[in-house]
Amino acid sequence: MSKTKNAVTPSQELAGGIAVPRMLQISALFVLFLASIPLGYLLLRATASGFAAASAVLLREKTVSTLITTAGLAILVALFSAIIGISSAWLIQRTNLPLPGLFLVLGTLALAVPSYVSTYAWIALIPSFAGFAAAVFILSLTTAPYVLLAALALLRRIDATQEESARALGLTASQVARRVIWPQSRPTIFASLLLVMLYVLSDFGAVSLLRVDTFTRVVHTMYKATFDRSAAAVVALILVLLAAILIYAEYKARGSAVAAKSGLGSIRTTNRIDLGFKKYLAASYLLIIAIASLGVPIYVLITRFVSVAAEINVSNLVSATIATASAALSGASLAMLFAIPLGILAARYSGRLSSYAEFGILLTHALPAVVIGLALVALGSRLGFLYQSLPLLAFSYAVLFLAKAVGLIRTSIARVPRVYDDISRSLGNNNWQTIRKITIPIAAPGVITGFLLVLLTAMKELPATLMLRPTGFDTLAIEIWTQTSISQYGQAAPYALILVLVAAIPTYLLSRPDRAQSSESRENMTL
Amino acid sequence: MRKYLSLAGVVLLIVSVAACGTDDSTSVIDGESLSGSELTVYSGRSEELIGSLFADFESATGINLNVRYGDSAELAAQLLEEGNNSPADIFISQDAGSLGAVAESGMLTTLDDEILNLAPSEYQAESGAWVGLTARARVFAYDPVKVTELPDSIDDLLDPKWNGKIGIAPTNASFQAFVTALRQLRGEVAAETWLAGIAANNPVAYEKNSMIVEAINAGEIELGLVNHYYIYEVAEALGGEINVKNGFFAAGDPGNLINVSGAGILNTARNSAGAAELIKYLLSNESQNRFVSDTNEYSILEEVPSPQGLPTFADIGTPVVDLDALKDVRLTQEMLVRVGLL
Repeated sequence: MSKTKNAVTPSQELAGGIAVPRMLQISALFVLFLASIPLGYLLLRATASGFAAASAVLLREKTVSTLITTAGLAILVALFSAIIGISSAWLIQRTNLPLPGLFLVLGTLALAVPSYVSTYAWIALIPSFAGFAAAVFILSLTTAPYVLLAALALLRRIDATQEESARALGLTASQVARRVIWPQSRPTIFASLLLVMLYVLSDFGAVSLLRVDTFTRVVHTMYKATFDRSAAAVVALILVLLAAILIYAEYKARGSAVAAKSGLGSIRTTNRIDLGFKKYLAASYLLIIAIASLGVPIYVLITRFVSVAAEINVSNLVSATIATASAALSGASLAMLFAIPLGILAARYSGRLSSYAEFGILLTHALPAVVIGLALVALGSRLGFLYQSLPLLAFSYAVLFLAKAVGLIRTSIARVPRVYDDISRSLGNNNWQTIRKITIPIAAPGVITGFLLVLLTAMKELPATLMLRPTGFDTLAIEIWTQTSISQYGQAAPYALILVLVAAIPTYLLSRPDRAQSSESRENMTL
Repeated sequence: MRKYLSLAGVVLLIVSVAACGTDDSTSVIDGESLSGSELTVYSGRSEELIGSLFADFESATGINLNVRYGDSAELAAQLLEEGNNSPADIFISQDAGSLGAVAESGMLTTLDDEILNLAPSEYQAESGAWVGLTARARVFAYDPVKVTELPDSIDDLLDPKWNGKIGIAPTNASFQAFVTALRQLRGEVAAETWLAGIAANNPVAYEKNSMIVEAINAGEIELGLVNHYYIYEVAEALGGEINVKNGFFAAGDPGNLINVSGAGILNTARNSAGAAELIKYLLSNESQNRFVSDTNEYSILEEVPSPQGLPTFADIGTPVVDLDALKDVRLTQEMLVRVGLL
């Protein structure tokens, strides 16, 4: 599953003979072990009740309709997310759209709104808001910012001279798009769409509120209604299988395009296209998207809050904010710690080990958080004082969001010519020194971006936090859940608003146009 | 790399120091030493609905509570996963089903007669593994402007005049408990016939009871099958009067099911004496009155009056159902799937 296979350079092929540093091997094995915790748990649970019981769950009629719903939702959301994300990126980066900086920030800020909050907001606005189409709508809006950031970095990277040469050789604009831009964009676009689809597979907040029976919701329903952990595990395994098919399909579809620019020189970008009066049309299009994804949730939160004149419990608000920040910060740090060796391994020493580890963490990414939560409950409750402690919560975040981090680090390392490593070695540095002096500094922007992204996602996490947090440790997401579970939307509003504000910090840092040096790593922005 | 490693080391150190502060397990031998002891509560009732009672219990007894709030069914799943390693002393649940599931796995201890005798036996497990704390009635919530002729029975809802006007929450534990009770009361065939009839009337499905009440208030539907206290919850959330009322079916109708929230003590509890104290406290007259006035629930005790403006159970005429059996919702779910409601 290694993406670096696409960008094989002659020197990389030669690298086959270079031994993988032991540190990296050990780290990769460790990460592989992490990824296998939830999967191993599922296998144990699924087989606990025997083959007959498992096949009874598998063969029921419901499985087919759930499969169609889940796959259909994933594909449609990927499609709309791609349309919104790519068109927004193109308008912002390549046209004379008014206020492109503002639209970039608005387009990205939607990341700060948890999908369960925006779904609640839409239901509050339109009580009949539910069903498949509604889920496509919400999830497309939720995932579009990831595609936007990836596409934006891509557009910034593609060298204008290639486009100009192609035009000079007589190619039409659409031929340039098909023969120059598309081959370079395909791996990135497919990779981000895969992650959009894996996100849809694992989403619970939106599909449950909108009553769309995806596998994740069915797993939840089975746990809640029958307490039958084996049957739920069997359903979760079908989900894993579906994810595996998607990962494999993406791997095949991505093809072997070369996604690298010729050198490290600065990239010249094309002139912005003059849209004429249509630029206002384009601006209204982006404005409508911003209103739907950002405006509606904030409007509903504020009006609900005002209508009940809810008292703000400042000390609760402060402690929940601190809890959110400390859990997310330690989770994101741990995730990066795990991800760095694997990212290096995947980019520089691609082989069976790194492929397995990567495949494993991608699969884990598609699992409902409740499954990962229960797996860590089963394991953690045997660990004595570590159970329901902050380290274990941070660890669960690291397992949950590892896929985001590894992808980013790998891409940012893979972009740098392998020849640097060779030069370093020829100057007498050993593998470890090379990694320390060359690879890690190069990886730094990707590490920072990955850190911000994991931080952002961990802040919004709910199902695993509910099970694994220290008792009495209430994050903003927990407070929102607590209030909304008894219909106190007004009381939930301050917590939701603070969460959006706090999450806006990493989001803003991610979207900052001046972070040009990390724009490349952002290209493989993962969910 | 050294820089990163030391950074990571610092993070881990901070994290583990922070964690060490939270762990404490005091074992209690006799009742006298309960003050200052620790009690870990898994509470499916949210903080809003029980937190102030916990605080008063702490100041009255000196027992320190570590309360873990969550969804009843998810906490039950968590308890089952933890097994004998569970840090919990006591499990408080919003529904009998979650308690039943934990009890079935043999994780709950049989409560002392001293506790079981505090409340009527129809609201506790036959085995004595759990005891009811509060009771809630199934009702139909309706729009008093549009619905002038109230239904007498759940069978009246099969009339085509209700086509597309009824709201239900088929994935919700409370609705599934009602269907399970219906199966008990009328038998499998009759229960499925009723469900098929409701399905044919194109009911609108919601995820939560509160969403049904909001939808009635918004004029999208006219009537919904919910628990009695949701109209108060929604009215408070929307900050004022809402156009929704509670209605009861005729005496003895399955639609008038009473379900309970309750509590059980873990076999592995380190502080089972403290847990018993907490249950006794929650079953006291004073606590029961507070449940009634604060959350509009029914008390489990006969001598405590009904919530304001609501009839007593005797007036409602509740059907007789074995609450212990409500945990078995697998057949209910299969039935809901067959008629197309799930």
